[in-house]
Parts: sequence; C-alpha cells; structure tokens
Amino acid sequence: MRFSIIKAIVQKELLDLIRDRRALISMFFIPLVVFPLLVRAGSTLIPRLQDQATTEARARTIPVRVETPAVLKALESLDFKLDTAPIGDLKAMVESQKASAAVEEVAGSPPEIRIYADFSNPGSSATAAQIQTSLIGLREQTIRETLRGKGVDVGVLNPFKIDRENAAGQRKMAGSVWGTVLGYMLMLMMFSGGMYPVMDMSVGEKERKTIEALLVSPAGRGEIVTGKILTAVISILTTSILTTGGMIFSFRSINVSSQDPGGARLREMLGTIPLDSQSLLMLAATLLPLACFAASLMFALGVFARSFKEAQTYLAPLLMFVIFPAIAGGLPGFKMTPILSLIPIFNASQIIRGILVGDVTTVNFAVTTLANLAYAAMAFLFAKTLFERETVLFRT
Amino acid sequence: MIHVKSLSKTFTDPKLGTRNVVDNVSFDVRAGEVFGLLGPNGAGKTTTLRMIATLLKPSSGTATLNGADIVTDPGKVRSQIGFLSGDMGVYARLTPRETLNYYGKLNSMDEASRKSRIAELLTTLDMNSFADQRGDKLSTGMKQKMAIARTMLHDPPILILDEPTSGLDVPTARAIEATVMDAKKAGKCVLYSTHIMEEAEYLCDRIGVISGGKLKITGTMEELRVHTGKQRLREIFLDLLGLAA
Repeated sequence: MRFSIIKAIVQKELLDLIRDRRALISMFFIPLVVFPLLVRAGSTLIPRLQDQATTEARARTIPVRVETPAVLKALESLDFKLDTAPIGDLKAMVESQKASAAVEEVAGSPPEIRIYADFSNPGSSATAAQIQTSLIGLREQTIRETLRGKGVDVGVLNPFKIDRENAAGQRKMAGSVWGTVLGYMLMLMMFSGGMYPVMDMSVGEKERKTIEALLVSPAGRGEIVTGKILTAVISILTTSILTTGGMIFSFRSINVSSQDPGGARLREMLGTIPLDSQSLLMLAATLLPLACFAASLMFALGVFARSFKEAQTYLAPLLMFVIFPAIAGGLPGFKMTPILSLIPIFNASQIIRGILVGDVTTVNFAVTTLANLAYAAMAFLFAKTLFERETVLFRT
Repeated sequence: MIHVKSLSKTFTDPKLGTRNVVDNVSFDVRAGEVFGLLGPNGAGKTTTLRMIATLLKPSSGTATLNGADIVTDPGKVRSQIGFLSGDMGVYARLTPRETLNYYGKLNSMDEASRKSRIAELLTTLDMNSFADQRGDKLSTGMKQKMAIARTMLHDPPILILDEPTSGLDVPTARAIEATVMDAKKAGKCVLYSTHIMEEAEYLCDRIGVISGGKLKITGTMEELRVHTGKQRLREIFLDLLGLAA
C-alpha cells in the first residue's frame, strides 16, 4: 500500500464529491438547511395551528344541558358562547362537528356531568380540557364549603403533600432525551448520507466507463478500495457531525412561548448535548469503526451492482436493517450486556445512549468497539475481494 | 516488447454455458511496430487486449510486456502500458487538466514532471482551449483527446489501443492516427485493434486476424496478400473469415 496513491485517490474523490450537487444536498444542505428549517417551521406552525383551533372552537357555541345552577354558573364564567337550551343528541352534535364540545348533566346520585369532545381535534380537546378544569375547581370548592359548613377543617383533604423531585439532573435528562434520538439519527445519517457518495465512487465508475482507465493505472486494487472507502468515511462522518450540529442548532432555536417554562426547559435541554472531552473521545471511538463498516459495506454493494439503479435496490433495503436496531438501541429498557454488544448498529446505538446518560461500562464499550472494528475489517476485505473479481467488475 | 503465448480465456455463464472467448492465441509485437488486431464483433479482440492490459486474468497461457508477466507481475505491466478504448468515459466533474493531474499522481510522477508533461500534451493534442472545462461539457472528440492524453501521460513504452477511433469524426480520428504514428516513430510498441480496414492498412506494420477466439493469421500486408491472393485488406479479411468479398 502506497500512501501517496491513496492520498491522490482521496483528494480526487473529495474534489469530485464537493462538485456534485446531489452529494452536497445530502451532506450539507439537508443537515444544515432543511433540518433546521423543518424544526423551526414545525415549532412555529404547530403552536400557531393549536392556537387557531382553540380560537375557532371558542368562537363556536357550546350546547349545555345542565340542571345544577352552580355548574351552569361555572360554565358561564368561562369565555364561551353557551346554548343553554339545545335540541337533540349532544354527542351526535359534537361527532358531526356542529359543536366543538358539549356538556350534559345525567341525573343520578350524585349527578354526572358528561363532557363530549372530539379528541382527534385539538381545538375540541382544548375546550373540553378547559371545561373539565373549571368543573374540577367547582367540585373542590363545593367540598370545601360543605366541610366548612359542617365545622370540619378542610385540611383533612390534604393529610400529607406528595412531591416528585428529579434526581437525574439536567445533564442526565438531556442525555436521556438525546440518547434516544442521537444514536438512531447518527446511524441513519451515516448510511443514508453516505449512500450517494459511495454509489458514485463504486458503481458510478462502471456507469461512467472510467473504471478501465483506473484499473490499468499502476494503482493497486487495494489502494483504490482504501482511497475510496476513506473518502466515504470522511463524507459519512461529515454528514453525521453536521446533522448533529444542525439538530442542536434547530432545537436551540425552537419557538417557545415566554409563558411556557416547561417548553423553555425542554429547549434548553435539547439544545445542549451533554458531552465532555472523555465522552467525545468515546463517541468518536464508537463512530469511527461504524463509519468504516458502513462505508465498506455500501461500497461492496455498489461494486457488485451493474448500474446506479441496481445499486439503489441493494442499498435502500439496507436502511431497514439499520433503522430497527438503531431505534432499539436507543430505547431505555434494554440492559446492555457483552453479548448484546456484539450486535452491529444496535451496540453502537446503545453505547451512544450510555455515553450521553453517563452510564456505560468499560467492558461493554470495549466489546462494542472491538466488535465494530472486526465488522469494519470484514466489510473492507469483502469490498476488496469483490473489487478484485473480474466477474463482478465486468459483469453486464 | 509484447510476447503473447497460448493465451486463452473461458467465460462461464449459467445461461450460456462455458464459452472459449479467446483460444490459444500467440503473437509478438516489437518496439517501434504497430500491430493491428482485426476481427468481427465478438471475435475476442477486446478480451485479448483486456488480458494483456491485466484487466482480465487469462484462463491459461500468459503474456510478457517488456519482460513483465501479466499474471505474476501485473503492477509492473500496468506501469509500462497506456490503454485506451473507444468507449472510455471521463470524470464529468473534473476538467481534463485535473484528470491528467490525477493520473499523473497514480503513475507516481512528481509535481514538476506532471506539470510539464500535461502542458506538453495539452499543446500537442490541441487541448488548451478546453483544458479547464468540466468533463460533462466536453464533446465526444474532446473526451477522446483527453483519453489519449491520459494514455500517453506517463510516456509508456507500450500502447494498447482498443478501437480508439470508433464513433469519432474524421479530424479527431486523424489526430489519434497521428499520435499512433508519432508513438511508432518514438520507438513505442503499439497493439491496435480496429474495425476500420483503411485505418489498419495505413497504420499497421503487421496485422493479425482473429475470429471465434482463434488467431487465423499474422503477417505484413504483403504476406497477407501472398497468402490469400487478394489485394485490399477488406478482401483479405473477408477471405480469412470464409466470406465472399
């Protein structure tokens, strides 16, 4: 293996890559522009649509059939138009969207106040929630007044307080949230982001008919494969890093109402990946063999294909084999064991989650890294073997 | 320079079965000589040239190029040859200058040699006007000139040209023919396959006719005339294939 030849191949492939509009779209445009725009648009649009739906629901008349004056009074105190003498089936009126919500008192002891709402409609749902809150308030007030009337201390209603306190801390919480999505996102972007550049460097040489000239050059087959796979690794890691950066930037710029402290906390949490220098090193050590594995495997499939179209039919299903273990690895329920650390993709996703949460054992990390290094080496040898076979290179 | 000895190639296909595409082919090409390999479609010309250029491994037999064996020392063979075929592509997003620079690096040429050799070839092949245009903007003729420049870049002593003028217009084809003649004058060994009889008659010192994977005959035009009793290469070719002229 001559370093100068491998370097020449990497330089050429990178130059070729950065001039390719399709590769630029998958490597730069999607992570840095499309993704932030989608998150930004979603975070702006969704609350706006919810507000709009609530406003529309509020503007519509709510049929109310109640006998208890206190209940009617509580409903009247809400900012809704009420129809206190409705005709017909109230549930059917909500179902047919003639009313956004309806309230009906069913006689009994005690009487039941039934709220009808269409829970598939955010506006109807929000209206029902507001009515329910108001009625719960009325019920509690009624209980308190009754107790007072009978000379009982209202404190009996709260003999003790219940409070939940999060012991995880913000770093761990951020790690937990990021651990669920980051591993999956990185795996997905590694394979989907690297797919086009790899196809261009493998089957693209066949389709452009440039492969013969390359093969009769003094560059060895191993040198060619190494140079091309290294370029693919660079493109895969670039896509992954930019995607992560794009995600952090997007989440930091989520539109959150100033009156929503929970939303602000979520934005703060999502906008910060809990990584220190040691975690970063561990993350790099996890991603590098995986990028080599992904690049080599996709390169092998690309070399085997006769055309770009055929390569797509091989590589698209590969994404399915990546998505499921990547999602499973990010789920908090799985307990990592050395055996599970041998499952490719899943193991990396689990380790990434562990790194972010701060909960990864040396044994599992070592097994995962060594296993992925072995898979990368095997995939590289597979790619090199295919690239050396004339029946593969010249099959028509 | 080129010594081909009992070269054979068998392809096995699940549908077509086993086919002997090249069958026990032997010939020699000397330095300063243009050897033409003629044959109808599917005769085995391209497979023979691909084996000699180390793109395919022979099923049996071998060839040596300047002393290097195609089976045991393919790397050394590749450093001594320039290979060109009629349907070779170009890198769409690289300019001819960048492509040549890339191949110069693959041939382990230092930067100064690359620059001077690229400048020389761009001038010789009249490529300066499109040297910095991207490959996807080049015409067929420009692409083929680029391919010739790439073939000649490292000044190889042996040229293997597989139907290099196929589908080209007359001026570009003439430029290639001129390059071949210059290479011959420079003492290079040229193995040339073509369909065009006039071209073979004009360029080649000796001709070999291949059909059904077997080499039917090799010799100078004069030797072929004596052997067949025909005058023009077209007639000789058809006669050797057993077809009426």
